[in-house]
Amino acid sequence: MWSDTLLIVFISISTALLGEGLTYVLVYRTDKYQKLKNEVEKQSKKLEKRKEHQNQNDKSQKKKIERDEEKLKNNNRDLSLVKMKSMIATGFAFTALLSMFNSIFDGKVVARLPFVPISWVQGLSHRNLVGEDFTECSFIFLYILCTMSIRQNIQKLLGFAPSRAASKQGNSLFAPAPGQFR
Amino acid sequence: MTTKTSTITKNGSLKVSSEGSVWQKAITANSEWEDKDEFLDVIYWSRQVFGIILGVIWGIIPLKGMLGLALFAAISCAVVYLYSINFQSIDEEEYGGAWELIKEGFLASFAGFIVTWIIFYTGLHYDSIIAEKTL
Repeated sequence: MWSDTLLIVFISISTALLGEGLTYVLVYRTDKYQKLKNEVEKQSKKLEKRKEHQNQNDKSQKKKIERDEEKLKNNNRDLSLVKMKSMIATGFAFTALLSMFNSIFDGKVVARLPFVPISWVQGLSHRNLVGEDFTECSFIFLYILCTMSIRQNIQKLLGFAPSRAASKQGNSLFAPAPGQFR
Repeated sequence: MTTKTSTITKNGSLKVSSEGSVWQKAITANSEWEDKDEFLDVIYWSRQVFGIILGVIWGIIPLKGMLGLALFAAISCAVVYLYSINFQSIDEEEYGGAWELIKEGFLASFAGFIVTWIIFYTGLHYDSIIAEKTL
């Protein structure tokens, strides 16, 4: 059983690397992406700084911030459009790979969980397994957990993860930024 | 060996940053963190390592049940909080509140922790689990 467990960790590392490699070829190395990314990063930082030193009564400043936000929004949208292409490609590749692994590990207990998962996770952790012992772990559960930690770490290690400033500003497009209504 | 890179910031002051100095700063109390991202990176990566170490320990003991999960979450958050506020004397408001510090890299480290916990638990205690089941 242990060899299966380790094999899945290995599979997850390889697929994460493959995914990043594919995205690198399709997206990260293109000029368009790099230009957009730099732009977004610069603008996010600028916006953050401007918001920090914001003078509540200064109307022209407020307008400037709004204009910057609009620009950033457009750039962010372009960036996600550029990424979309590779996301579809990797999505297809991964669905195929995953269904292959799923059939290999079908009905196999790949690990023992040291805890009983909460009920809505049990569907995942006990997928395609027989019996009522919920400490038995299926392939898909372990794979997802591995990917969750490995993919993000690989992205960060290789410098492909979006910068904090950008993701923070990006979020504020959909949710009000903290302190916005102070 | 440390690689040093010097960049001249906008106001003309010289900023020296290197792998070694970040590590030095991380382990000395009350360091100055001009670059917020640098500090958050320190928290992020130490958290990943910390999660894996705890996972190994939990697996060897072995700790079982929700207690293990809760204990990890509590220890992980408490350590990050105490490290930033007490050891480094960080002004949490600068980072958008203590919550931002606590959630930095939490999910990834949590997943890493669970995976190592499962691996060590399965690998080291498999025979005893099966023996328990057949009794």
